[in-house]
Amino acid sequence: MSSRIQQLNNTAADLVARVSKSVVHIGNGSSGGAGTVWHPDGLIVTNAHVAQGESLWATLSDGRSLRAQVLAHDRRRDIAALSVDATGLPAIELGDSRSLQAGQWVFALGHPFGVRDALTGGVAIGTGSNWNQGPLAGMEWLMLGLHLRPGNSGGPVFDTEGRMVGISTALDGPESGLAVPIHLAKRFLQDSLRLTTAA
Amino acid sequence: MTLLTELSDTLASTVTKASPSIVRVEARRGIPATGIVWSADGIIVTSHHIVQHDEAIKIGLDGGETVSAELVGRDPSTDLAVLRTDAKDLTVPSWAKTDGLSVGHIVLALGRPGKTVQATFGVVSALGDSWVTPSGGRLDRFLQTDVVMYPGFSGGPLMDVSGSIAGLNTSGVLRGISMAVPHGTVKATVETLLKHGRVKRGYLGVGTQPVRLAEALAKQAGQETGLMVVSVQPDSAAEKAGLLQGDVIIAIGGEKMRHVDDLLTYLSGAAVDQKVDAEIVRGGKLRKIAVIIGERG
Repeated sequence: MSSRIQQLNNTAADLVARVSKSVVHIGNGSSGGAGTVWHPDGLIVTNAHVAQGESLWATLSDGRSLRAQVLAHDRRRDIAALSVDATGLPAIELGDSRSLQAGQWVFALGHPFGVRDALTGGVAIGTGSNWNQGPLAGMEWLMLGLHLRPGNSGGPVFDTEGRMVGISTALDGPESGLAVPIHLAKRFLQDSLRLTTAA
Repeated sequence: MTLLTELSDTLASTVTKASPSIVRVEARRGIPATGIVWSADGIIVTSHHIVQHDEAIKIGLDGGETVSAELVGRDPSTDLAVLRTDAKDLTVPSWAKTDGLSVGHIVLALGRPGKTVQATFGVVSALGDSWVTPSGGRLDRFLQTDVVMYPGFSGGPLMDVSGSIAGLNTSGVLRGISMAVPHGTVKATVETLLKHGRVKRGYLGVGTQPVRLAEALAKQAGQETGLMVVSVQPDSAAEKAGLLQGDVIIAIGGEKMRHVDDLLTYLSGAAVDQKVDAEIVRGGKLRKIAVIIGERG
């Protein structure tokens, strides 16, 4: 029994080690945030509210700090695409946010309160656009049992296979986090960068 | 597939499987709450505290259909309410006996405050014996979890990993604590509400205070304190049984009465109209009298 739990722990640890290679820290002159390597040739996805400031710096998992340019952003949906001058970066594997079900296990990596590559795990509470609370109303979100905090914003939410399903964006209370579903990020990149990704 | 993915998929399929039996209950202002299908012919069980108006209750079914419901009855002391809809062929969920549950077991709380079923995750935090709520209702087990009770989750099921319902989640029994009313209590209360429209609670009609027993009596009775009768209500069960001011109640129905709480606990679970023996001290001597338990008005 305990060996099964140990097996679970080891699987989770391997998964997190793998995904964390794709997680970057975004410095913006104030509190900063997180971002995710979307394409090996220097394309990084984050929140629009993280990609603000005079100058942006992306610190990669290998320790390099590179100047980042904003390619496109959408403030309403809180998504931004950044570019850094690098190639061969470890891009994250993309998942399907539309097939994410309530009860499924998810994780988020980010830098809450500046703590680098901190993990939070929990289950998906619900998905879709059926939220009756104020700022959420009418928008599509992933509602997650994750402890998202300032500094998590822009980082990846991923499933048990390490596939990114959302962008950590906000908290709806101490115990529940909100993420922009990855299919909206794909659409944004397609529309704004004419970039086609395998969806 | 890794063990982790297997766990994740099992949790998600538990939610999907239970979904047809979980309904939305619109019976208050603001965010709706959740209910569980009790029988295929339209009986729904939910939390008492979320049914704030008795009229114009709406139930949101799994398929998206909304039907109206009427209140059959409620029991504030266990925070349960029963509703009736005209819906037919509803999916009845499977319920689990709490015997199979242990502290540390993984559980899910499900709710349907909106269109779809939502889930939160946790473990069983505490599992005790029979417990009396602050409002005097008796639960067959004390079942506490650390699942997050998201707004509108009250009245929804606490699921075990086999997909059975271990209890009905409520944040209305103890504030800030995720409690579940176990299946045994849900079943007993629903059946009583369907039959009588209310839950009868035992009543005696005495005012009491704990007193220390004389040494010899304490030895004889096997307890150090009893409850002295300080008042007897006219026409009450106590008066009919012949209880007098100054009597000291030692035990009722075989249960020792050491503190006032013992009497309240006993009465909350006692069957109304049942004839039981009361052991009392009168004139310095132990004696037995018969008491017929009355009903709390």
